[in-house]
Amino acid sequence: MARDKIYLEEEFPTPLMQLWHNFKQPPVVMIGFGCFLFLIALALLASVITPYSSVENHLDHLLLPPAWSDEGNVSFLLGTDNLGRDMLSRLMHGTSLTFGLSIIVVMASLVIGVIIGSLSALTSGIKSSILNHFLDVILSIPSLLLAIIIVAILGPGLENTLWAIIMVLIPQFVHITRNAVKEEFAKDYVLASRLDGASSIRILWYSIFPNIIEKLISQATLAQSTAILEIAALGFLGLGAPIPMPEWGAMLANGIDLFYIAPWTVYLPGLAILFSVIATNLVGEGMRHALKVRKEN
Amino acid sequence: MGLLKTNMLIFTLRRFSLFFFTMWLLTILSFSLSFLFPGEQLINLTGEINASPEQLAVLANEYQQQANLLTQYFSYVSHLFHGDMGYSMTSHLPIMTEIINRLPATVELTCVALLVAMFFGIPIGFCAAIYHRKAPDNFILAIAMIGYSIPVFWLGILAILVFSVQLGWLPSAGQISLLFEIKHVTGLQLVDILLSDSEYKWQAFQDATRHLILPVIVVALAPATIFMRLARTAMLEVLDTHYIKAAKAKGLTFSQIIYRHAMRNAVIKVIRDVGLQFAHLITIAMVTEVIFSWPGIGRWLIESIYQRDYTAIQGGLIVLSTFIFIVHIIIDFVYAALNPLAREPNHGT
Repeated sequence: MARDKIYLEEEFPTPLMQLWHNFKQPPVVMIGFGCFLFLIALALLASVITPYSSVENHLDHLLLPPAWSDEGNVSFLLGTDNLGRDMLSRLMHGTSLTFGLSIIVVMASLVIGVIIGSLSALTSGIKSSILNHFLDVILSIPSLLLAIIIVAILGPGLENTLWAIIMVLIPQFVHITRNAVKEEFAKDYVLASRLDGASSIRILWYSIFPNIIEKLISQATLAQSTAILEIAALGFLGLGAPIPMPEWGAMLANGIDLFYIAPWTVYLPGLAILFSVIATNLVGEGMRHALKVRKEN
Repeated sequence: MGLLKTNMLIFTLRRFSLFFFTMWLLTILSFSLSFLFPGEQLINLTGEINASPEQLAVLANEYQQQANLLTQYFSYVSHLFHGDMGYSMTSHLPIMTEIINRLPATVELTCVALLVAMFFGIPIGFCAAIYHRKAPDNFILAIAMIGYSIPVFWLGILAILVFSVQLGWLPSAGQISLLFEIKHVTGLQLVDILLSDSEYKWQAFQDATRHLILPVIVVALAPATIFMRLARTAMLEVLDTHYIKAAKAKGLTFSQIIYRHAMRNAVIKVIRDVGLQFAHLITIAMVTEVIFSWPGIGRWLIESIYQRDYTAIQGGLIVLSTFIFIVHIIIDFVYAALNPLAREPNHGT
C-alpha cells in the first residue's frame, strides 16, 4: 500500500477553512449556496446572456402570457409586460440591480461599520457609553423609516436609496464588531501578543479580525436579506429605482395595475425577490449553524 | 416586600432615564433634520410655506432664530412639549391634529398584529422544539424561513387578489365600510364602536373586524415566524437545563414538565425579545398600510415624502419612534414583572 504521507503532519485549518468545513455539511445549505452562486453569476452576466434588452419594446407582443400557457410564445419564455418588454430579460437584468446592488451595499456598510466598530471598541469610558446608547437608539428606529428619512433628505432615485440603505445598515455592523472585538480582546492570546509588544492596531489586524470574520459574514448575510427587501420595498413605493428600470420592486409596482389581466407581471418579480432572499437566508442559516458547531467543539 | 419595592423602583428609574436619554437624542435628530432637508430651516420646522415676511419674522422670534443653536434647540423642544409640531405643508393642518387622527389606526393594527403573531408564533415554536429534529420541526422551520423571506408588499397584493377579489371573503381597503358612522372618541375603531350607541353597533363591529383581518395577517406573518424561531430556541435551551433533568428524575410526565416548568421559563425568554421585534413590525405595518389604504401614520408618512412635506416627516419620526420606545418599555416591565431575576440581579446567581 502506497503511503502518501510519510510524516504525520498536524494541520491547523484557518478559521475560514473550519467554517467552510462545517458549513458544507447540511445539504439544504448547499442548495441555498448553489442558488446564491447562481444569482451572483446571473447578476454578473445579465447583460451578456439576456435574449433582449430590458427596455426593448415588442409592440406586436403586448402582455404575452408565459410560454407554457396556450397564448404564449416560446421566444418570450416568461411573457411580456404592458409595453411588450420581455419579462425574462427584465428579471435577469433586475438580478444585477436588486441582488447585485444589495451585495455592494452590504460590502460598503460592512467596511465602514467594521472600521467604526473596531475604533470604538478601543475607546472606553463616557465616549463609548454615549456611542453605545446612540447605537441603541438608532437600532430601535425601524430601518425603513430611517431609509425613508434619508431618501427625503437626498431626494428619490436608485442611487440615493443605496446610500440610505448603506447608512441604515452601518449601525448593525458597528454593534456586532464592537461586541466581538471587545470579547476577543479579553482573551489570553491577545494578552500574549500584547506582552510581545504588539500595538492595538496590529493586534486587531493579525489576531482579532481572522477570529471574528465569520461573525461578520453571518451578520452580512442577515444584512443582505434586509437590503434586498429594502431596495425592493423602496422601489415598490416609488422612492427608489424609477419605473422603467428593471428593479424587481419597481417592476412589481408597474405590474399592479395590470394584476387582473396579466398576473405574471406581479407573480414573477415577487417570486424572484422571494427566491433571492431565501437563498441568502439559507446561506446565513448555514453560517450560523457552522458557527454553533464550531463553538460546541 | 420592601426589598422588592426598592428593586422595582430602581428598575423603573433606570428605564425612565434611558427613555429620557433616547427622547433627547431623538429630538436632536429631528431638530437637525430641519437643517438637512432642502429649503429654509425655519419653514421646514414650522411648515408655514405661505407665510408673509412679517409672519416669518414673528415665527423667527418665537423659535429664537437670532440666538445660538442651543437656544434654538431648546425653544424647539419647548414647542414640542406644548404639542406644537408646526403645520403640515400640504394640508395646512397642525401636525398634531393629523397625527392624533392617524396614530390610533396604526396602534390598533400593530398591537393586534403583535398579539396575533405572539399567540400563533410562540406555541408553534414550542411544538417545533418538542419535536426537535423530527419531521414537524423541519416543516415548521421551512415555513418560518419562507415567512420571513417573503416581501410584505407582494404578500399583501397576493392576499388581496386571493381573498378579496377571487374569493370575495374579505374587504381589501380601508378600516370600516363608509356606511357606518362612528363617532371619533379614542380613535381606536373597535373601541369606538363598542362605546357608540348606534343601533347597528354589532354590524359595524363585524365590518371593522372583517376589514382588520387581512392587514393583520399580512403584518403578523413575518414577526410570527420570528417568534417561532425565538420560542424554539428558548424552549430547546430550557429543556437542556438541570432543573428539567431534576423534574424528569422525579418522575414527572413529559406533559407535566412542559406545561408546569419548561413553558413558563421559555415564554419569559421570548418576551424579552418582543420589544426588538416590534420595530421590525412597524416597518412592515408602514408598507401594509399603503397597500390596504389603511388610514394610519405609516401611509401618511410615505405620502408626505411624495409631497415633500418635511414638517410631517419630522413629526412622524418623533411620534412613531416614541410609540416604539413606549411599547419597548411596557414589554420591559412585563418581562420584569414575570421574571424576578430581571428585577433582582443580586440574588439571581
